[in-house]
Amino acid sequence: MSPDTAVAAAPAAVDVFPAEVQRGRVRTFIRRHPTIALGGFLLILMVVLAVFAPFLGTSDPQALAPARRVRPPSDVHWFGTDMLGRDVYSRVIYGARVSLIVGLSVAILASAAGLFIGLVSGFIRVVDGVIMRIMDGLMSIPSILLAIALMALTRGSVQNVIIAITVAEIPRVSRLVRGVVLSLREQPYVEAAIAAGTTTPRIIWRHILPNTLAPLTVQATYIAASAMITEAILSFIGAGTPPIIPSWGNVMAEGRALWQVAPYIVFFPAVFLSITVLAVNLLGDGLRDALDPRLAKRI
Amino acid sequence: MLAYIARRVLATIPVMLIVAFFVFSLLYLAPGDPAAVIAGDQATPQDVERIRASLGLDRPFVVRFTEWLWRIVQGDLGVSIFTNLPVSHMIAQRIEPTTSLMLITIVLAICIAVPMGVVAAWKAGSWIDRAVMAFAVFGFSVPVFVTGYVLAYIFALQLDWLPVQGYTPLSEGFWPFLENLILPAIALGSIYIALIARITRATMLEVLAQDYIRTAKAKGLGSRGILFLHALKNAAVPISTVIGIGIALLIGGAVVTESVFAIPGLGRLTVDAILRRDYPVIQGVVLLFSFVYVLVNLAIDLLYTVFDPRIRY
Repeated sequence: MSPDTAVAAAPAAVDVFPAEVQRGRVRTFIRRHPTIALGGFLLILMVVLAVFAPFLGTSDPQALAPARRVRPPSDVHWFGTDMLGRDVYSRVIYGARVSLIVGLSVAILASAAGLFIGLVSGFIRVVDGVIMRIMDGLMSIPSILLAIALMALTRGSVQNVIIAITVAEIPRVSRLVRGVVLSLREQPYVEAAIAAGTTTPRIIWRHILPNTLAPLTVQATYIAASAMITEAILSFIGAGTPPIIPSWGNVMAEGRALWQVAPYIVFFPAVFLSITVLAVNLLGDGLRDALDPRLAKRI
Repeated sequence: MLAYIARRVLATIPVMLIVAFFVFSLLYLAPGDPAAVIAGDQATPQDVERIRASLGLDRPFVVRFTEWLWRIVQGDLGVSIFTNLPVSHMIAQRIEPTTSLMLITIVLAICIAVPMGVVAAWKAGSWIDRAVMAFAVFGFSVPVFVTGYVLAYIFALQLDWLPVQGYTPLSEGFWPFLENLILPAIALGSIYIALIARITRATMLEVLAQDYIRTAKAKGLGSRGILFLHALKNAAVPISTVIGIGIALLIGGAVVTESVFAIPGLGRLTVDAILRRDYPVIQGVVLLFSFVYVLVNLAIDLLYTVFDPRIRY
């Protein structure tokens, strides 16, 4: 054996080994967190559909073809066509974009705003009473109605839908963060930090914030799920994204008048919406079990 | 006790004031001229002028708010921009179907969800438990219109057991009335059932681990007695809390369910009002629903003492 071959063989052996470990890890992860794995897989699938929508055999989701109105599913139109002859498959695949963008944006915006309000409320006792009364008031308006009332005043657009749903979700996040902050403030290590003369911003950054992240992440996934449902509801009743944008709610709203003769127009967006929301909920349940075992035991 | 009830009832007043303030000021938070916003794109200048006058936009905000609030307290919710009818009158016309739908849904949901949660907790880890939990996840994920259409397709269109849509008032007989509401109630209730079943299971698991349950078992009590007499009563507070909070889901869902099943209730009124930008009607409906929601949760708060005599105020 020449030294050359030994050198050549060595890297190969190193390469094979981690791959085995990697595969083992993936399997262990799936076994330990089946809900995260399943939810994550379904969600990634939806993201891929949304991102690569133009390359998945879709045609222009807005293209009208009056001659081919209300055709049942076939090999040309996989999900059939709607009352204006538009390809339902293309509209559903493109619709994933709206749902995912709304879900993600609302989750991020509501978490950020709720985190800020919750921290302020939990730390500055003077404003706590006022802020929490305002949040109580906002929470007394059922969130879909609040979003409807906001949307009734603005022009339908994806941006306005996101803002309306975010406003409706903020009180719950604020309450959650405030609760965590109040219980953390009682912890000995926070008292110790205060006694040691740590400044309040530093205490928030080093001790409070890291501890709010786990429950906040879990909450954010549930918010994303409910935001996607709310967006579909708003679009379905005509207070959401403008009809020009193919969102699942819009496709269902357009299929509503025809659903007894052409149920597939409503059926396909409904299935996609349900699967996506299910994926996010599974992810949320899994994250809750993994990140917050105490909460997991309670619920 | 009486003092507590009085205090609790009084405490809802500031909450209701804040709700009213939000509902009122939403119109002015929107960018642009509220009168033009309400009038919409096809409005003539006269329309905008008429709406501006009816909103009283020429006077200060605080004055308008207090006047509006004073009228609301007297039961005057304003006049619809579209039909020119009093909003309270329009709501009164539409309130029966919505109330019936909500009440049937609540009763149905509690009757299904609580036993489901109890059995799941009792047989924790079994296939029944896993089935209940799986149902709960699905119940949360499948939106109400999806459940609605699927149910209507199977039980009304295919099997022809129940009417596809519509509403029959109670005055025309109980069965026709109930027949029209069964499918909407199941569709609307599925997320509510999921929520209640889940919290019932969780609370029951906690209660069943208590010492007094072991004592009850040791003295030879049957499992039914333990579950419903000892355990469920102790689990009642969190369960009823969730039943109250979940009504917000029902209110939101009712708007959609009424659209799917063509029920002429408040939800339909809201949808029509959105399409016509009839803001006084939307304000009225939102106020009414929020008021009901606050009152229901107040009632549940007061019920705690019945479930748990340890809670004394």
